[in-house]
Amino acid sequence: MKFLTPDVIWNSLREVGSTVLFIIAGTVLLEVLAYFLWSPLGVFSQAVDQLLKPLGDRVRSLLAGLAVVAAVVLVVAMVSPGQEPSPLAPYWPVAAVLFLIGLFISPSATVIFGWRLRLPYMLLMPALVGLLLLVVYPLLWELNVSFTNLNPRHFKSPDFIGLKNYVEVFTKPVLKQVMFFPVFLRTILWTVINVVFHVSGGMALALLLNRKMRLRGLYRTLLIFPWAIPQPIACLAWRGEFHYEYGFVNIMLQRVGLEPIQWMSNPTWNFVAMCITNIWLGIPFMMVIILGGLQSIAGEYYEAAEIDGASAWQQFRHVTLPLLRPVLTPAVILGTVWTFTNFNVPFFINQNELETSDTLVTALFRSAFQYFNLGDAAAFAFVIFAILLAFSIVYIRVTGGLKGATE
Amino acid sequence: MKKNVFTLLAALSVLAMILAACAKPTPETVVVTQVVTEREEVPVEVTRQVEVEVPVEATPEPVEIVLWTKEGEADGGLQYVQSLADAYTAIHPNVTFEIVNKDVETLREDFLTAGLAGSMPDLLWTVNDHAGPFTDAGLIMPVDDLFDLSQYVDAALAAAQLNGQTWGVPISNGNHLMLLYNKDLIETPPMDTDELVQMGQDLTTGDQYGLVYNQTEPFWLVPWLGGFGGAVFAEDGKTPTLNTQPMIDALQFLYDIKYTTPIVPAECDYDAADTLFKEGKAAMIINGDWSLGGYKDALGDKLGVARIPQVVGHEWPHPYTSGVYLMLPISLEGAKLEAVVDFVNFVTSANNQALMIAKLNRLPALKAALDDPLIANDPILKGSADQMVVGTPMPTVSEMRCNWDAMKPEMQAVLAGDKSPEDAAAAMQEAAETCIANLD
Repeated sequence: MKFLTPDVIWNSLREVGSTVLFIIAGTVLLEVLAYFLWSPLGVFSQAVDQLLKPLGDRVRSLLAGLAVVAAVVLVVAMVSPGQEPSPLAPYWPVAAVLFLIGLFISPSATVIFGWRLRLPYMLLMPALVGLLLLVVYPLLWELNVSFTNLNPRHFKSPDFIGLKNYVEVFTKPVLKQVMFFPVFLRTILWTVINVVFHVSGGMALALLLNRKMRLRGLYRTLLIFPWAIPQPIACLAWRGEFHYEYGFVNIMLQRVGLEPIQWMSNPTWNFVAMCITNIWLGIPFMMVIILGGLQSIAGEYYEAAEIDGASAWQQFRHVTLPLLRPVLTPAVILGTVWTFTNFNVPFFINQNELETSDTLVTALFRSAFQYFNLGDAAAFAFVIFAILLAFSIVYIRVTGGLKGATE
Repeated sequence: MKKNVFTLLAALSVLAMILAACAKPTPETVVVTQVVTEREEVPVEVTRQVEVEVPVEATPEPVEIVLWTKEGEADGGLQYVQSLADAYTAIHPNVTFEIVNKDVETLREDFLTAGLAGSMPDLLWTVNDHAGPFTDAGLIMPVDDLFDLSQYVDAALAAAQLNGQTWGVPISNGNHLMLLYNKDLIETPPMDTDELVQMGQDLTTGDQYGLVYNQTEPFWLVPWLGGFGGAVFAEDGKTPTLNTQPMIDALQFLYDIKYTTPIVPAECDYDAADTLFKEGKAAMIINGDWSLGGYKDALGDKLGVARIPQVVGHEWPHPYTSGVYLMLPISLEGAKLEAVVDFVNFVTSANNQALMIAKLNRLPALKAALDDPLIANDPILKGSADQMVVGTPMPTVSEMRCNWDAMKPEMQAVLAGDKSPEDAAAAMQEAAETCIANLD
């Protein structure tokens, strides 16, 4: 048992404090470096630019791209997925040089290292380094792992097996028996069911709450509760309620004279249980968003519609819905992505680890951290990544979601 | 203005570095502590030489041992582990413990993850079949040279041996399933499966059940597989033989006692079975020796122990036997390794083995502790020992992992009424083979 003595407190403070100070010192050092290096680099890039002018921008872009890609490939090969360092690791300066060559022969080098962008780059530098260490490096490591057979039998020195893992995602069971496409389709089904119920349920509650009545604030508070409970806790509580013997749901079913349901071992009912839990969890968010949208619709529209003799349904169809669209579209997209990648509900409700209840993300988790087929799982993860990337691109194209940022 | 900004930045960075340097312990301090350790641990003749370098300071280096145990709180196991750790700290104040309880499966998963991340705990208190994946991954060390293994029961050692080496020090011998019954509801336990079904049907009324067991884990399936004359591996010990008549029969039997002649609850995991039995709402339970302590507390003299009933026309069911083991992560070295080795000897000392028999009702792994009069006189321990006679050692090879993973969903599918035993057995075999092919 550890006690919170002044000594322990002091030591923890010292550890945390020194880490924070190191980060601050590193950041400052980076800023100073960037500040001082930018001018000489600018001069250098001008010189390179003069030298390479005859090549033309197209050729230079192509060469620069090739050099950067070569540097990235080299880095991927250098990152060892096992415990022993990769034999290529000592060649990291080659990768660095390749990257710098790529950077400087690119026609945009003079812009990047120009005086005008010095301060912006200086300010971006810490974030850039942080992203490189925390996002790019793990991603490259993962990519490397996906080409190997990293698993408990090959824990320290996995072998390179090329694209075999990627082929096997589609040709072999991703878990014990279930193949990729059934899981994929189930995930889509799960997403559609949930989002439909979230939106319709949220809309119904929001319409009910969006009028003058007593205790409106109290109702709103009560209805928002599911959203305020941490998901894993809510899931575990729900799992308890689906217990065959002692769960609330089965007890109520028996009271009204129905047969109790095997929520945990029957695949269909387990999926239903997952959906019930997630619908309960997701409605409040939609309700809040839609309520906000409803309150921003000016009352004049409804007055005008009433004067024109529109029924309640017509008002809803032709006034409320169109004016809600700007709020509803991003909410639906968000809800779709969140439900697609929801881990807590399918994982915790599925107590018996039925493969028939796994969605893509829980299947990925089991493959990696329960069966420890890390190589297979890495390839599987990139396939899921590709699916989400495709979805995001289509979404951004359709809605022009990034227009404000890029133009 | 620019100059001012720069001065500020430079001043900040210098300040930060100074503070950071203050915050980190200086290299000298580290050296001193190391020397002190050596003084504590090395043989006498070197001590004199070290003493010249280090003035006074007699406190040994503090060691904190992070121990992961599969023992849970419900049956008193975790409390027992904690009491051992406290007792050890009382004798050696420089050694403190952080006891972490993890489910058996979680312990395996987390330890592999920790191994990959390179930050492992210092000692594992777990079951034998973890030795398979852990040695595959090269995460635990052989214990042959660290302990005098001749003092332990051979059967317990055998379940932790792989590739000619021993990978764990046994704490208890058994870990086997048996039939436990409530004497209020049953006078004499059933001897064969016909009797079991007969008595079970009489006892299943309203919210009371004849028999409960964990229907979600194949650990509860393998005794019956053995009872019908099957085994999960062929002679070579690593080729799965799951698509066999005995497996189909065993699955059919479990299906029958749930649907055809119902004597078990429709849905029942470990906790539900445990609760039903403790509340007296189940006449019989199939559970392991680890649960004996908890049931003794809950039921007292009403608890009876017997063999799992013989399969009519076949054999006694063969529950898997192994034991609980202490495994040493490969990362241990220096003072920590010595402290861990000493603690392991402490845990398996004759005194503490006797304490374990009394507290947890488990059979000891230490030969010297087998003569304990408690075992011969206690009906519960006698019953447990009697069940062990027909047990079979649980395989340690990592192929076993594939068998468990393959059996689990199929067993559940049969019990949910989704699959016929024939289809399930075939699917098990296929899944196990795929998994084993993936191991390499």
